[in-house]
Amino acid sequence: MTATAIPTSATGVDVQVRPETARGAARGHNRAGWLFATPFLVLYVAFLIGPVLIGLVISLFNTTTVKSGVGSWVGLSNYAEVLSQKDFWASMWHSVLFTLLTTPLLVLLPLLFAILASRMARKQWFFRLAFFAPYVVPSSAVCLIFAFMYTPETGLITNAFSWVGLTAPDFFGSTSGAWFAVVLLTLWWTFGFNFILYTAAIQEMSEEIYEAAAIDGAGPWQQIRMITIPLLRPTMGLVLMLQVLASLKVFDQIYILLAGGPAYSTRPVIQYIYDTGFTAYRGGYAAAATMVYFVILVVISAVWFLARRRNNPAKV
Amino acid sequence: MSGLSRRQFLAAGGGAALAAAMAGCGSPVVTSFTGGQPRTADVIYWHLFGGGDGKNMTKMVKKYEQTSGRSVEATLLSWGNPYYTKLSLSASSGRPPDVAISHLSRLPLLAQAGLLDPVADQFSAQGITPDKFTPAAWEKATVDGTPYAVPLDTHPFVLFYNTALAEKAGLLDATGENLKPMNNSDDFVAALQALKDANGSKYAAVASITADPSTCWRFFMMIYSGLAGPIVSQGGTEVTIDRSAMEHTFAFMQSLTQEKGLMPSNATSTTTTTLFSQGGVGFLFDGEWQIPTYRDVKSLDFNVVPFPALLGPKPVAYADSHSLVIPRSSRRSAERTDDAVRFIKGLLDESSIWADGGHVPAWLPVQQSQEFVNLKPQSNYTQAAFNAVYDPPGWYTGAGSDFQTAMGSVIASVLTGGTDPASGVDAMTASLQTFSTARPPV
Amino acid sequence: MDQAGKLFNRLAATCVTLFALIWLIPFLWALITSLRPNDEIAAHPTRPWSNNWNLDAYRSAWNSSPLGWWYVNSFIISTLTVVFTVVVCSMAAFALVHLDFRGKYAVFALILAGLMLPTEALVLPQFMEFRALNLLGTYWAVILPSIALPVAVFVFHSFIKAIPIPLIEAARLDGASWWRIYLQVVMPLCRPAISAVAILTFITSWNAFLWPLLVLTQTKSQTVTVGLSSLVGGAAIQYAETMASAVLGILPLLAVFLLLQRQIAQGVANTGIK
Repeated sequence: MTATAIPTSATGVDVQVRPETARGAARGHNRAGWLFATPFLVLYVAFLIGPVLIGLVISLFNTTTVKSGVGSWVGLSNYAEVLSQKDFWASMWHSVLFTLLTTPLLVLLPLLFAILASRMARKQWFFRLAFFAPYVVPSSAVCLIFAFMYTPETGLITNAFSWVGLTAPDFFGSTSGAWFAVVLLTLWWTFGFNFILYTAAIQEMSEEIYEAAAIDGAGPWQQIRMITIPLLRPTMGLVLMLQVLASLKVFDQIYILLAGGPAYSTRPVIQYIYDTGFTAYRGGYAAAATMVYFVILVVISAVWFLARRRNNPAKV
Repeated sequence: MSGLSRRQFLAAGGGAALAAAMAGCGSPVVTSFTGGQPRTADVIYWHLFGGGDGKNMTKMVKKYEQTSGRSVEATLLSWGNPYYTKLSLSASSGRPPDVAISHLSRLPLLAQAGLLDPVADQFSAQGITPDKFTPAAWEKATVDGTPYAVPLDTHPFVLFYNTALAEKAGLLDATGENLKPMNNSDDFVAALQALKDANGSKYAAVASITADPSTCWRFFMMIYSGLAGPIVSQGGTEVTIDRSAMEHTFAFMQSLTQEKGLMPSNATSTTTTTLFSQGGVGFLFDGEWQIPTYRDVKSLDFNVVPFPALLGPKPVAYADSHSLVIPRSSRRSAERTDDAVRFIKGLLDESSIWADGGHVPAWLPVQQSQEFVNLKPQSNYTQAAFNAVYDPPGWYTGAGSDFQTAMGSVIASVLTGGTDPASGVDAMTASLQTFSTARPPV
Repeated sequence: MDQAGKLFNRLAATCVTLFALIWLIPFLWALITSLRPNDEIAAHPTRPWSNNWNLDAYRSAWNSSPLGWWYVNSFIISTLTVVFTVVVCSMAAFALVHLDFRGKYAVFALILAGLMLPTEALVLPQFMEFRALNLLGTYWAVILPSIALPVAVFVFHSFIKAIPIPLIEAARLDGASWWRIYLQVVMPLCRPAISAVAILTFITSWNAFLWPLLVLTQTKSQTVTVGLSSLVGGAAIQYAETMASAVLGILPLLAVFLLLQRQIAQGVANTGIK
């Protein structure tokens, strides 16, 4: 970091002190503080808190998404309908299933590879490049490439199955094939993020512990088991939390690659909200679904958050 | 610092590109900042036609551009729900396209949501009046007494037949250009049986059933509509199934695939195409838009006619229509609206190109022209356009809707023999209840 | 190191290198396919070689969709988002660290709570809100909700906190206004934070899908990410064009990534840990 020239007085000792009263200073702080914080707060309240309140209000009416105005009052019947709809709970299950399928893979595999990669002194940049490059690719481009590789009969991945003597699943026509397709895609796409987190955590570990262990005769596998993994536990917790929260909010890849299909059997909650709110114009109903989903996510976030604070009181 | 110069270079390049992009007030970049009406062409037009239809549409648009000197920006969007969702989103953003395609079966929801401009005086000034269209189509384009769309075509569900196989079975009439008249389901079944026997084939007819709920729905509607009225009414909020009519229809359909073994109970669209192309069956039940698929098959000589009356007294055709709509926008100038109306008229005038894809033009001046009358096999089933029955009007019905998928799945299970007719009626009713009890958004 | 250790390391190296190479396959496959003629792809779909390498697919892809406009739109939106986010969030963080204002802790708690808000789930109410504000279909609808980012505030917060207080006090005693301190003292020392937030915000903004899909519907106003999605499941036999479009869609961010690898990785690590 380059040092910027800071205006200091010539002597450094004989500082000119302006007579300011304590209250004057406090008032200056107050005004400045609010001036600095206001842009953020305005945008935050308007566009992050605002939608929550608007969603709550709309969910009590029969709003039409494409018409102005809120429509007629319906009270809690939107909520009653949402909670009794098979399709809503199915979509909740799909989001949960996606989380269950991807989280173990995306928490453990990057860990494994980060540990293995850390054993190598050179070529770190190559791994970072290879594993993390997919992360900067937009979801639609990833889906274009994978849809091509999943083409029945001619796709690369379809053929890869037959090269190892297996029959490729029906990626677009069967539900299990569809889940396989989207999980593999997600694994490729988001692996790098967790890999980087683990790698950074490993790099922060001091060399001395390993040296001491090596002197004591611990082999590499023992070092990993006794030192690396225990020290990585907080990072694993972080990765797990981020992964679960992100997976519950899945939309892009399932919508673009599969359109929630076949026959809505993989449709996640956000797509359910999209279909009811924007395709069928049922604004009030979709708002109720949004609120239910929102509450569930906030509860899960809060639980994680508080658990983390309890375990790491030093961090925020 | 190399970093700084690289940054400067990038910034300069970006700035230059930006300046070029912003040249002109109608530039999409500027209107995206100010929220103005996009003016990247005289007419901005959205449609959902890919493949052969897409090529024909492109031809029609180009012809219009040449004759009128106006520029048209046509965008192709994915068929089905994504198209209609996008159309509604853009209409509610206040910056919709000037002209868009809409299936007439999807019109009620769009119109009742206030997203479309009604078809009014500006249209009649260009000569677009109700008397110039197929009555069934114009009626369907009218919602709550006001017309909101200009029908472009009618595309019915029709009967394809293999000329050679039909001849062998003695089904052709004296001219050889048509089938002998059939007056009821008995005649029809007899014809199917004759096809099967005379040609020694396993099946007489085929329709795409597996993973094709839309075809199942069209097949069902064609038969049921001869017996009874719409299955939902009051904008889709009331279930009005005629139980005995529906059971009768299901029994008839199931007999074809099960007891009588005249049609395969499992057929994907690929097997359907293969069977009919290679002469494995004599009859094909499909939409007329499939004509281009079979036209190029060298060994196949086929013709297309409307279905005869089956269970009811008169022949009925299930159809849908493509139509042209003008999405509502308060920011569109009168000039642009005028251009849009002229464009619609231009497309109507060119609808003989459109008929090449198998469709029956709804614009009577073209439909009644010698050019179209000479066009075979399209002109054979013009009557089907007049007898057309559409999806029951409702906020959730229409081409590519969940409703069609849900209904089609029940019908498919009847066709495959998985459900008996009575249970099929119960399943339909139950499925309809979820739709009809949901509170309509309009 | 003993034999077992060396063997282990070699196995580890082989394993990871192999997987890293596998990870590159989708990129390479898209690139290779985009450079082959379509009939050759149809005839030999899994052959990674061509006798007729050509760039026709790129020309055709460029002409068949308004990719140029999509680039411009994405670039404008992402750049503006980055600028606003860096400025607004760093200002808020500065206020939280150095300024003692009434309600400070309430604000802090509010922003903390924001970390738990699943904003992606709120698209429907957001849509209604922007509809009422008449901002649908404009860049602003995409930019404005992305600016107030609690995560960014916390990243800046920890960096600003690390600045030695005497520096601030000295400047203050010399009569510098808070604004000057912010601009001339704090921000220059926060370069890593700025680069982390800028890079990650740029990537997130560029790759955003659902919200721009809902808001920017005009074909020429769309972003690259939304525009590309309309090509999925489309022209089934134009393999090369589809892959060329994908490659063109990936190029900008991939170029950014290749130039700024290290910073991006650091940024991710810092943000995640915050």
